[in-house]
Amino acid sequence: MATRNGSSGFNFDLVLRNERLVERLQVDAPKSEASVLAKLPRKTGTTIAGMLFEGGVVLGADTRATEGNVVADKNCSKIHYIASNIYCCGAGTAADTEATTQLIASQMELHRQATGQALVPVVAAMTRLKQYLFRYQGYISAALVLGGVDELHGPSLYTVYPHGSVDQLPYVSMGSGSLAAMAVFEARWHERLSEDEAKRLVYEAITAGIENDLGSGSNVDLCVIKNGGKSVDYVRGYAKENPRPYRKPTNYTFPKGTTPVLMEEIRKYIEVKRVVSDL
Amino acid sequence: MFLSRSEYDRGVNTFSPEGRLFQVEYALEAIKLGSTAIGIQCADGVVLAVEKRVSSPLIEPSSIEKIVEIDTHIGATMSGLTADARTLIQHARVEAQNHRFNYEEPMPVESIAQAVCDLALRFGESGYGEDDDDADNGGGEGGGTNKDDTPIMSRPFGVALLLAGCDEHGPALYTTDPSGTYTRWLATAIGAGGESAQATLEERYRRSLSLTEAEVLALEVLRQVMEEKLNAMNIEMACVLPDGKHGRFQIYSTERLKACIERMSATDSPR
Amino acid sequence: MRPQEDQTRFTESSWMSSNLGPSAQQALISHQRSWSPYVDNGGTVLALAGRDYAVVAADTRFSVGFSVPSRNLTKIVRLTDQAVLASAGMGADRQYLHKILRSRLEVYKYQHQKQMSLSAIAQLLSNTLYSRRFFPIYAFNVLGGIDDNTGEGFVFGYDAIGSFEKVKVVCSGSGQTLVQPVLDQQLAGRQKYDLPDDQRMASLSLDEAIELTRDVFNSAAERDILTGDAVEIYAVTGSGVRYERHSLRQD
Repeated sequence: MATRNGSSGFNFDLVLRNERLVERLQVDAPKSEASVLAKLPRKTGTTIAGMLFEGGVVLGADTRATEGNVVADKNCSKIHYIASNIYCCGAGTAADTEATTQLIASQMELHRQATGQALVPVVAAMTRLKQYLFRYQGYISAALVLGGVDELHGPSLYTVYPHGSVDQLPYVSMGSGSLAAMAVFEARWHERLSEDEAKRLVYEAITAGIENDLGSGSNVDLCVIKNGGKSVDYVRGYAKENPRPYRKPTNYTFPKGTTPVLMEEIRKYIEVKRVVSDL
Repeated sequence: MFLSRSEYDRGVNTFSPEGRLFQVEYALEAIKLGSTAIGIQCADGVVLAVEKRVSSPLIEPSSIEKIVEIDTHIGATMSGLTADARTLIQHARVEAQNHRFNYEEPMPVESIAQAVCDLALRFGESGYGEDDDDADNGGGEGGGTNKDDTPIMSRPFGVALLLAGCDEHGPALYTTDPSGTYTRWLATAIGAGGESAQATLEERYRRSLSLTEAEVLALEVLRQVMEEKLNAMNIEMACVLPDGKHGRFQIYSTERLKACIERMSATDSPR
Repeated sequence: MRPQEDQTRFTESSWMSSNLGPSAQQALISHQRSWSPYVDNGGTVLALAGRDYAVVAADTRFSVGFSVPSRNLTKIVRLTDQAVLASAGMGADRQYLHKILRSRLEVYKYQHQKQMSLSAIAQLLSNTLYSRRFFPIYAFNVLGGIDDNTGEGFVFGYDAIGSFEKVKVVCSGSGQTLVQPVLDQQLAGRQKYDLPDDQRMASLSLDEAIELTRDVFNSAAERDILTGDAVEIYAVTGSGVRYERHSLRQD
């Protein structure tokens, strides 16, 4: 069956297989349930970005976590620890990015102990991440920006896609706000940026995502890794530019009796005695 | 002159050189042959009174129906070719119901008069009634008053209506005629005795008339222009009284008619 | 022209479809010919009524997916000096509906020599929506205003095909599930179980109602990503319609 190709040269057998799977599910389950089962996991909104500068790397992220159209967390943390000299921004399904980065963080610590290095190389983390994600064929929804500094290569910056592919570039962005962020990078980036310029640019790129992408919002977190990986400046709430603009001056007070007392019963303590026989 | 008239009085779609539409004018003449109908607006309502020509003792008087309800707050009486009036009345009833359907409120009396006159002008030789592109029907499926395929009238409607109603602005009395004109009156009369009745009304009308006084006045004027002796069998009466924000139209029962006639006779005697 | 080649193609496509069950065939066909004329452009609308006023409010964000094509697109139309309409849902359908209603109101004014009353507008809107029963206008309306006889404030809530209800407070759109329970508790007193129905309704002053409206829109903007940028508030009273606009979160 798999050998019959259409005139286009492409083989659509798997399309048919998928339709059959949906068809079978529809027999077993109601239609709506079947279509949910057949759907890929939902990608959540985020803006994450990273940029190299002379002597280090800056990572940035927004702090909004969404469930559909609802903000689940207004100040979540998307820059994850991998090793003392490596951090990783995660976009996609929160559970996947957290589990994946924790797993690789453990592996990197074991790797450091096994190899007796002071700092693990960033490529090692990148390699483990892409192998892990590739093994799961994209079903682990983690889109990552990995940055760090090591003795081998100096400052390093990678993006790792959910299917396991990797880019190595001087400035990168990921998530639903990646276009807004990349627009800022493409307009303003130049070679030999100073640390302050790089921080400023990453901050502006994340802000572009926060403002123009509904999946991103709230604050900007930044993480600067420099000095050969020996110093890390992780700033939660580098910018907090979206406070609630208005709150009603009078409180929401609930007068006594708002919740009615339906029944009242008072019981005295029950005395418990233990009687031991004199046998 | 006579020659030119006979040439221009055939078609309903041709003006005479003097700028007249003879068929419309003849239709207006038909009303002057009709039974007399009187309407009087007073401080607390509108009264309608109309003569019924019971031309034979073998006629069952109740089968001649000259006053009709259009909606709960509007009624009408007629003079001229009463059969033609059925079409106009049916149109007015449907328009009134459409208005209620579309806006959940009673239709203003003037709007009813306008709706009747819109139809009164739809005569000619073009065949079928055009689709009603009246904006009032755009919204509802329940609209579509004139989307039927009944032929439109080939000639003008030979009937005039007296419309009595009560809306948010209070009681109101209107006439409509075959030329598609409507006019609001304090008191008026149409039909054979219309001119003479009108003269009397102009003499005796006062804005402060009570409903009872208006009833008596209407009957007196009607008696004056009727050939036969007025009784409860050869007239009809109705009134609209304010009822909350709007009015309630009611046609008088025989008992009520008799009572009105008695009141009229009673006011007679001192003179 | 080249029958041989056509023949081959025909055989291949019939092979594909002959191997599919009826449901999968349908799925292929519906996938190929799928047509979805509706877009949800998000946003929240609200209307609440008091003894002698009505407040109608909406945010001004216009979104498509995660993008924000406009931060200042009104969802509200002032129909008369007694009635204001706000519609959530699809932007194009909203503009179309508002245009129809404005023109119908104008024609009514010429035909009947008066301004259409709140209850007449409520009925007209229902009929207009129901006239598209099988190809609905994708708009979720709240209508607020004052009764021209009594001067009492009322609001009407609608579904997309014209079912409506005369109430004291209603909310629709993307923030509905966040806002409506708060309004119910604050105004309709749904938690004051022990009070008889007619005493449950809280009586807010107009200023208190506007404060509450601003507050719930700020709360909705905190948690609903489709609501934000600004809130427009129309206050309808016996002396006309008052307008105000306040910023909301921009992210």
